[in-house]
Amino acid sequence: MSYFFQLVVSGMVVGSIYALSALGFVLIYKSSRVLNIAHGQIIAAGAFIVYALTVWAGVHIIPSFLASMVITFFLSMSVERVFLRRLIGEPIISVIMVTIGLMSILDGLIYLTPFGSVNYSFPEFLPTTPISLGGVSISWTQLVGVIITAILIGAFSWFFKRSTIGVSMRAVSDDQLASMSVGISVPKVFGLAWAMAGLSAAAAGGIIGNITGLNFETLRAFGITVFPVVILGGLDSIIGAVVAGIIMGLIQQFAAGYLDGNWGLNGTADVLPYIILLVILLFKPHGLFGTHEIERV
Amino acid sequence: MSTNRWFATGNFYTTYEEEQRIFKTNVDRLFFALFLVSLFIWPFFIEASNRNMLVINNILIAVVAVYGLNLVTGFAGLISIGHAAFVGIGAYTLAGTARAIGDNHVLITHAWPLMILISGFVGAVFGAFVGLPAMRLKHLYLAIATLSFQMIFTWTINFMTFFNQGQMIAVGRVFWITGKVGRKDHYFFWYYVILVTAVICGLAVRNLLRTRYGRCLVAVRDNDRAADAMGMHPGLTKVYAFALAGFFAGVAGALHTYMFRGAGFESFTLHHSIIYLAMAIVGGLGTLPGSLLGPVAIKTLELQMEHLSEWAGTFLPATMNLATALRPLGFGLVIVLFLMFEPRGMANWWRICRSYFKLWPFRY
Repeated sequence: MSYFFQLVVSGMVVGSIYALSALGFVLIYKSSRVLNIAHGQIIAAGAFIVYALTVWAGVHIIPSFLASMVITFFLSMSVERVFLRRLIGEPIISVIMVTIGLMSILDGLIYLTPFGSVNYSFPEFLPTTPISLGGVSISWTQLVGVIITAILIGAFSWFFKRSTIGVSMRAVSDDQLASMSVGISVPKVFGLAWAMAGLSAAAAGGIIGNITGLNFETLRAFGITVFPVVILGGLDSIIGAVVAGIIMGLIQQFAAGYLDGNWGLNGTADVLPYIILLVILLFKPHGLFGTHEIERV
Repeated sequence: MSTNRWFATGNFYTTYEEEQRIFKTNVDRLFFALFLVSLFIWPFFIEASNRNMLVINNILIAVVAVYGLNLVTGFAGLISIGHAAFVGIGAYTLAGTARAIGDNHVLITHAWPLMILISGFVGAVFGAFVGLPAMRLKHLYLAIATLSFQMIFTWTINFMTFFNQGQMIAVGRVFWITGKVGRKDHYFFWYYVILVTAVICGLAVRNLLRTRYGRCLVAVRDNDRAADAMGMHPGLTKVYAFALAGFFAGVAGALHTYMFRGAGFESFTLHHSIIYLAMAIVGGLGTLPGSLLGPVAIKTLELQMEHLSEWAGTFLPATMNLATALRPLGFGLVIVLFLMFEPRGMANWWRICRSYFKLWPFRY
């Protein structure tokens, strides 16, 4: 039984980070209807910036974590400004293909740095002995990661519920023309949505980098798993992203814990999310919490 | 109407049949025939090394695959980020058969045209299956569906011992009327097979677009609700587009396996899907000349980048992995720049060039 609870705990940890990564993705989709295929690369970039600042520049982890969030905030914003702003009004298919191109470009840029070929791991800055509670253990890194994730998700939901900018972002996602007529600058909101997405991606990257170590391929795979999460949650729902992230984390951990090693299976955690994705698309395409569009194809 | 069938200084169609013609003027037809003939006879006059032959064959295989991608992304307007997986389905249909019945079984070595066709049909079945969500959904969901198919495909090949866990699965040498195709004639022989396949597929695509189904694809891309109102079934049309794309990809995959005499998973990764997409975009989405120009341009770019990284590798530190970095960087840049500045691709340059000569010596 303690094995089960151990899986539940680690599933919740991974899932909450999925939730944080999916949040940024949903943000962009919600405001501008663009699928940001390059989101995983921004997550990876965030993780690498944290590492570079902490280890190479010798900054303490907390300021460098915050600095990385600020840097990706502006990085993402400039990506939107340079590449996507001039595509407003173009068919959505070409905008999505531009993000595919961006993914490839960011891949190439990361391969140019040492992070593309060398694996690094963060120096330990928390106690290394895990906390044990009735046979279930959780490491300090994981615990702190979950706490930061919870704080960030709370901050984001406060931002969207209460702050003026957050409300105007929601207004734009609801109706662009109407929000323009009440004086909201739609391009600014798009830029801000990208920037916020970059910020949350960097946070997710920093946390996952601390937990699993910095391997570009792992981080990329992590970024692609965000797609099953957002589809399960419904592309445009923030609550959906959080719930689906945790569900997906649990599913992956259970698959790794119970399926692997039996019936000759191995590495099922890497493929199960995508199978679930295809099934959801067939039977419940708007996910758990997504908006049902009335328009049919 | 007695128009000049050799030189036309504009479009003066009086019937729909005239508008639907493949070749507008006899000059078009003549140039196309010359182009085809020169493609067929140049190997007899120019001695190409095996290395160059390999590059040319690769380009032609990519042309066949890009026909499929162009159908689904260009004509039907659905993004596919998993095209390499469909190519892989074709390749592994052949390789799996070889593994099941032995790589020198008569079915593989003698009935290879049949095997290529079967690979195409298996690709079509998988394409239709992945396209099934299209019955209810729009393009962005389908992009994710194809992406997840890519991930599932890569995982399956790497996991299953039947597929040698992604390692090379060998396929035997094939037989022609003159006997076994040996090492010396291998690339030469497959050049002709691939060329004939590419020409047949190209004509098939061109003719498909003149039929009711081809026009359905374009109508559904441009406005699916209007197409629905006109009595077409948008969902089925999209599934059909995916099946066709799967077919072309499957054929390309089988050709790939035969030419490399085996299949390994590293030719069918997400990275290759993006390369196919880059080819379609650079060539020009929704155009037939684009399916030819795109692969040529991208493969040339790839070769040049290899040269560049070899040259730069001589004075750069070893940790800087320029060869792996340049490929995604270059393809990504090409995709983004073309979408931003020339969304109609190189086919548009070809069109401008043609229309210049059409009106020559007049300016307009």
